[in-house]
Amino acid sequence: MDQSLTKNEFIGHEEETTQEAKRSWLFTRPDHKTGLVSWLTTVDHKRIGFLYGVSSLFFFLVGGVEALMIRLQLAVPNNNFISAQTYNEMFTMHATTMIFLAVMPLSAAFFNYIMPLQIGARDVAFPRLNGFAFWVFMAGAIILNLGFFVKSGLPDVGWFGYAPLTAQAYSSEFAGDMSTDMWIMGLQILGVSSVVGSLNFIVTIINMRAPGMTMMRLPVFTWMTLFTAFLIILAFPAITIALVEVMMDRNFGTYFFEVSGGGLPILWQHLFWVFGHPEVYILILPAMGIISEILPTFSRKPLFGYPIVVFSGAVIGLLGFGVWSHHMFTTGMGTVATAAFTLATMAIAVPTGVKIFNWIGTLWQGHLMMRTPMMFALGFVWMFMMGGFSGIMHSAAPADAQQQDSYFVVAHFHYVLIGGSIFALLAGIHYWFPLMFGRKVSEYWGKLSFWVIFIGFNVTFFPMHFLGLNGMPRRTFTYDGNMGWNTPNMIATIGAFVLGIGIALYFVVMIYTYYKGEKVKKDPWDGRTLEWSLPNPPPAHNFDVTPHVHARDAYWYEKHHKEEIAAENAKQAAEDEAHGGVHMPSNSWFPIITACGMLFGALFFCNHIMMGAIVGLIITFFGAWMWALEGPGGYHLHPTRKNDGDPAAES
Amino acid sequence: MRSSDPTEKLPARLWRLLLIVLIPLINGGWLSGPQSTFETEGPVAKEQLDVFYVTLWVTMVIFVLVGAVLAYATFKFKARSSEDEHAEPPEQSHGNPIVELSLIGASIFALVIIAVPTLKAIWYTYDVPEELQDIAYEVNATGYQWWFKFEYPTELVEGPMGEAPLVTANELVIPAGRPVRVNLRTVDVIHSFWVPKLAGKVDMIPNRGNHLWMQADEPGYFWGQCAEYCGESHAVMRFRVIALAEEEFNTWLENQKAEARTLEVAADAQIANATGDYPTFRVNQKGWTEEFDADPLGNWRAIQEIPALGEEDAALIAAGRRYFSENRCAGCHVVRGHDGMGMIGPDLTKIGSRTTIAAGLLENTPENLYRWITEPENVKPGNFMAHSRKVVPKGMVVMPGYRIYDAEKDEETVDIEITPEEGHALVAYLHSLK
Repeated sequence: MDQSLTKNEFIGHEEETTQEAKRSWLFTRPDHKTGLVSWLTTVDHKRIGFLYGVSSLFFFLVGGVEALMIRLQLAVPNNNFISAQTYNEMFTMHATTMIFLAVMPLSAAFFNYIMPLQIGARDVAFPRLNGFAFWVFMAGAIILNLGFFVKSGLPDVGWFGYAPLTAQAYSSEFAGDMSTDMWIMGLQILGVSSVVGSLNFIVTIINMRAPGMTMMRLPVFTWMTLFTAFLIILAFPAITIALVEVMMDRNFGTYFFEVSGGGLPILWQHLFWVFGHPEVYILILPAMGIISEILPTFSRKPLFGYPIVVFSGAVIGLLGFGVWSHHMFTTGMGTVATAAFTLATMAIAVPTGVKIFNWIGTLWQGHLMMRTPMMFALGFVWMFMMGGFSGIMHSAAPADAQQQDSYFVVAHFHYVLIGGSIFALLAGIHYWFPLMFGRKVSEYWGKLSFWVIFIGFNVTFFPMHFLGLNGMPRRTFTYDGNMGWNTPNMIATIGAFVLGIGIALYFVVMIYTYYKGEKVKKDPWDGRTLEWSLPNPPPAHNFDVTPHVHARDAYWYEKHHKEEIAAENAKQAAEDEAHGGVHMPSNSWFPIITACGMLFGALFFCNHIMMGAIVGLIITFFGAWMWALEGPGGYHLHPTRKNDGDPAAES
Repeated sequence: MRSSDPTEKLPARLWRLLLIVLIPLINGGWLSGPQSTFETEGPVAKEQLDVFYVTLWVTMVIFVLVGAVLAYATFKFKARSSEDEHAEPPEQSHGNPIVELSLIGASIFALVIIAVPTLKAIWYTYDVPEELQDIAYEVNATGYQWWFKFEYPTELVEGPMGEAPLVTANELVIPAGRPVRVNLRTVDVIHSFWVPKLAGKVDMIPNRGNHLWMQADEPGYFWGQCAEYCGESHAVMRFRVIALAEEEFNTWLENQKAEARTLEVAADAQIANATGDYPTFRVNQKGWTEEFDADPLGNWRAIQEIPALGEEDAALIAAGRRYFSENRCAGCHVVRGHDGMGMIGPDLTKIGSRTTIAAGLLENTPENLYRWITEPENVKPGNFMAHSRKVVPKGMVVMPGYRIYDAEKDEETVDIEITPEEGHALVAYLHSLK
């Protein structure tokens, strides 16, 4: 970025500041450095990443409590811990929360925080848009969870909301029930957030890499960010269309899925899964990226077969769009379609397997440092492998006819989503914690939390394979005691509480580390990528001097070519200074105002008050318009110019 | 496990033997039960299980190989001491294309092993094989929130609206040893028809004509369940399949096609016991017994028996028939030959000969039946006998349930209340319908 931006004459000139002063208060961009306003108006990718992280961890706990409610109800047959209706709300919200409000935004937290640092950029390409993506995410999250507080209750249509269950007639606790409307609006708004964020990441990765950071030198996590972002912008339109259609059916009497008018519920399934399957990779690719950073760092050698790992990520992303109907093997697609989707699904196992082989190759002949992040990463490889194998079992359509919608599927996707995504994200938190907060987890407590989580997870979900093969369908609030399901269900419930204790321990350890953890100097793990070249926590402008990249593991190279890099940095510093220092963006109120407009409008729309919805839209447009008019703002830092009395200067 | 077939290839038999020994050791028999996909009773489920075994063994072999290498690498290259940790970094190698390409080749090979039997089974399990189509028996299954209607399109009976296929509910009786093609329909949301021991599931989707085929090799009694989330009471939408030898099947059909059984009542007959003694049940209380499960087919046969003359209280039954009409049960249900044109609820013409009520949920005992008709909400939450629909689906004819819903006030008012006397008489009446 920096070259293009700092060389830009318009931004670089001194008189720009005086022009700013003439603007009215409405267009004056705030530049609070601390306090509530600084957080509400922030455009700093690290702060936004932090906001994503904290809120997604909060929703992760909410989803976890929902899971425990489910497991308590199923602990014994014919249980009455919660009613059928509550149970249905719990599993709907557990899935929706974990997918859209926990795993995706936690990945986004890392995209935001880590990716710009890995490519040597000062921020993402569109800082205000980045803030907007976060606040829109919050708006969607609020709408999805409003059911806790209103009469309609939570959505109860399942996370894939199969039509026609979402029609007015079948999803109503009472006339005017809006729980399904909230689900529809919430997901649409979350989609806006994801697409906006992803476009931002794509532009950032394509355009803002430091000099010398060629595509084939990108850290694998950044590659996976790029693939995930492309998956999001290509997959979300499908669900947006589907959601708009079901919204039209519900509110304006159209017949997309309305059976009496000839609508086709099967269409919903195709639209949903053409989004839903790439979504699975949206959840797992960032995790694979994190693992591909952690394993080399703690093996102290480069990733084995980097080009193939990157390429297999791309292949997974592409094939991910061609396998959606394996979620629909029991919908009577006919032989040829079933066979085609079977083969495509099997094909996707190859690039996935390749990644596992390469991770093992990375360990081979390394010096494995068994730190907490490494424990989670190795746990990931094992658990993801098992989830992959049950995935292969699903790909065989005739076998899947027995497994589909049974607890076998539940076991499978928890192995890939907890054993996969969550393990990797938990690994990532401890891995980058020293960078973000300058403190490091205690090895004893970190590893203890890992083992409790690992054991609890397996005790919970391994028996579910047997439950499914023994004929227990998913999404059932009760079961009879004569089906042979009692013991595995009881064990799974016990395991869920062990897992819950493990997660609680993890959070306690994390919070303790934040306040009292061991302080570390920069680069505590002997890292390989550029983010470790920064002091912890990284300053607002990230890099004092735009780094030059000479090799794939850029920072590893720097550490082994200190003189060359020092000379280069001095030259670059002089050049940066000649352009007026580091240009920093000012904060802005308009991202959050625009997002609030969407929240406002959506709430009224859910209540079928169209005037309110229109007012919300007007606020949204107003926010976006003012956003365009508020001007560039910005100020300059002189990180390399020392002791010259400039108040803005930082060293 | 399945009975052994002498034509099976030896390795396959060995594998299965190994599994029989190993799996109960690992899981204490968790793969055995009324809906076990391992205890297959027909060719479709067996084919599906065979494919599963192929996937299981291929992935197990890969897991053992890859897992062994991963475990070895972890232990072998682990830094064990402070010296290890501060040693010079290892060689900064970047990969080995030969190793990588050969591993890709090996993965593809493993997948081909799975793909071949999978493709074969996709075609086999899709529809009744051509050579068997002549002897295939056809039935229609329709999903309702939350029960199954079964129709016999080749067996026509005189119904309230003229000649129509024989209809029953929640217990599908099929001929054993013959392929059965089930046409799958639904009237409301998506359901899924799943009898694990006979065949994997296929969904019932609105505006879509699905089907599956299955075959029970031997007479038997099988458990099935809806396998697609279909709303509040999805978990308790169950059904049974009873397979009978040809002769017994035909006898059953003849009895089913007959109109409802009517008992002669003497003019001066008195009701012996006007109120029964029924226990109270808590919400979601179990409705099965070990006695029934010990010999389900035998118990099914027992319930087909028509009681000897004088064993039933004809006066009580007559009263029950009157209450059936007075309480507008006939608005949703039909008892062919007696009363009712209702198509919304299950056909009750032969309800007394079914082993279960409330969609395969409760054994058809007087206590359970009384519980179901007096407190349906406590058995199956949200069902449309207890409530009227809150919002009527377009194009659907809807009768109010026991309670009528007022959308303006968002309130339910009680419309039908079954008193203990009525309940007792209704139980006797319904159980007389064999």
